Amino acid sequence: MTARIDRHAESSARGYVWSVAMVAATTVVALGVRAYFGLPDVEMLFLFTVMVAATRYGRGPSLMTAALSVASYDFFFVRPFLTFVVEDVRYTLTFAMMFGIGWVTSTLTTRLRREQAEADEAVLRAKTEELRSSLLSAVSHDLRTPLAAITGAATTLRDDEGLSPATRLELLETVCDEAERLERLLANLLDMTRLQAGRVTLKRDWIPLVEVVGGALGRVEQRLAPERVTMSIPDDLPFVPIDPVLMEQLFVNLFENAAKYTPPGSNVEVRATRTDDRVVVEVADRGTGIPAGDEERVFERFTRGSHVGVPGVGLGLPIARAIARAHDGDLTVAPRPGGGACFRLVIPLAADGPAPDRGAEPS
Amino acid sequence: MTELGPVVLVVEDEPQMRKFLRASLGSHGFRLVEAGSVHEAIQLATSHNPELVLLDLTLPDGDGIGLTRTLREWTAVPIIVISARGREEDKVEALDAGADDYLTKPFGVRELHARIRVALRHAARTGGGTNESLLEIDDLAIDLARREVRVAGKEVHLTPIEYKILVLLARHAGKVLTHRAILKEVWGAQQTHQAHHVRVHVAELRKKIEADPARPRLLVTEPGVGYRLRDRQE
Repeated sequence: MTARIDRHAESSARGYVWSVAMVAATTVVALGVRAYFGLPDVEMLFLFTVMVAATRYGRGPSLMTAALSVASYDFFFVRPFLTFVVEDVRYTLTFAMMFGIGWVTSTLTTRLRREQAEADEAVLRAKTEELRSSLLSAVSHDLRTPLAAITGAATTLRDDEGLSPATRLELLETVCDEAERLERLLANLLDMTRLQAGRVTLKRDWIPLVEVVGGALGRVEQRLAPERVTMSIPDDLPFVPIDPVLMEQLFVNLFENAAKYTPPGSNVEVRATRTDDRVVVEVADRGTGIPAGDEERVFERFTRGSHVGVPGVGLGLPIARAIARAHDGDLTVAPRPGGGACFRLVIPLAADGPAPDRGAEPS
Repeated sequence: MTELGPVVLVVEDEPQMRKFLRASLGSHGFRLVEAGSVHEAIQLATSHNPELVLLDLTLPDGDGIGLTRTLREWTAVPIIVISARGREEDKVEALDAGADDYLTKPFGVRELHARIRVALRHAARTGGGTNESLLEIDDLAIDLARREVRVAGKEVHLTPIEYKILVLLARHAGKVLTHRAILKEVWGAQQTHQAHHVRVHVAELRKKIEADPARPRLLVTEPGVGYRLRDRQE
């Protein structure tokens, strides 16, 4: 709030300074052309200056420009010269006109600006609303799908007595799987909401990267078999200043993405390297890759690869990127030489990042 | 099952959850005592002397964490928190308040039974006065008398800190220990804020006891909470 007032005061002060400068310049120009043009032209010149000031700097500076213009006009161009005495009543009308134009123009400009600002805000509101409704429809669709499966399976189990044991088991599996899917979706939505609202405070600590990557692999091993993953994380990689919970989520999302969009059994490679002030982690797969030009689109919410029958809502990668950015890092994707996609995560190491001490050996 | 299965106090105000727990635990021979509030829970805990408490954190007349602290004033009964609060700080708070384990809703019944088994076994071990001098988990064997650690029969050499951490985790096998709890036990009460000390030594420890330290099977991380040594019967 204070900052805004300051900026406002500063811009208004600059307006006054410019007003003085413009009147001075106009006076010089008017004095120069006085010999060739008539007095009405000089009046016009000052009027023009007042209008410019009014459109650019608002009411205060425009009124001051009007006052200074009147003074200058009176002093240099109205008999008797070089005094503020006015002989002819006619000139008071000129002065009144200058003030009037300054007032009207600045009022109009201010109103126009306000209306413009309101229109901009309305557009922004409409966009937010549109996003919200697209989010709602995507979410309600994706919530209903597993719910429909659960309801269908559960009511069949309740109402249908002639089911074979195998069918019953199958339906029960459906209930469990779909409930799990619902849970993941909800967790994703919550994460996204928290990250978007900027309400996430990172609980950073010095963490060995391998712990976070290993934890993530453990969480996805049902969907991404451990033997598919090759890891090369150098032993001497420094600890990274990260929020372990969020960063593990980032890797879970990347691995789930790989599991969904790559052929079963294909290799996924995790490679970490250190440059001076950052750690770069690449997660490379041998899937179909990202279509050229879509490298940014995959990080937009509710964007999904064109694969029929792959479950998900398109929140995994946006969440992963939001997490990377919350760490002042970034997550991007590029084609992998030889086919597939290569996700690249950059984590800055703080300038004062020491290798953490090991803690005194207890006695 | 026998009629004298363990008494479990379920503190949960949600009727559907209670129904599910009653069905599942009942069929495994547990005897259930049900409380729907902190007040009832304290009454039933004193009158029935349960062998295990399943505790929901959000209760109509108070908080489960407060109840955990109250119970811990006079009983060492294993407490497993079951809560829809899934944030790591909630877990840490509950564990540091004295809960033995934490299950986030929704959870599967297999997971619940696994945690209950671990908690009961652990209680039996410490309750009977721990005279075990040999701790064995999977391939890992710790000879407490000789301060020797073997992995698949091969002796490994640990630093004093690594040994202390490993023994601590092994004594509580199956249970999550928070960073704070580990720091307090290994380094002493003053050093409970330097969680990265634990991480440094756990990383070293893993290199010595895990086949693939990047994918630990034994010493697993509970992100944002702490570490757990997998129980042999998990």
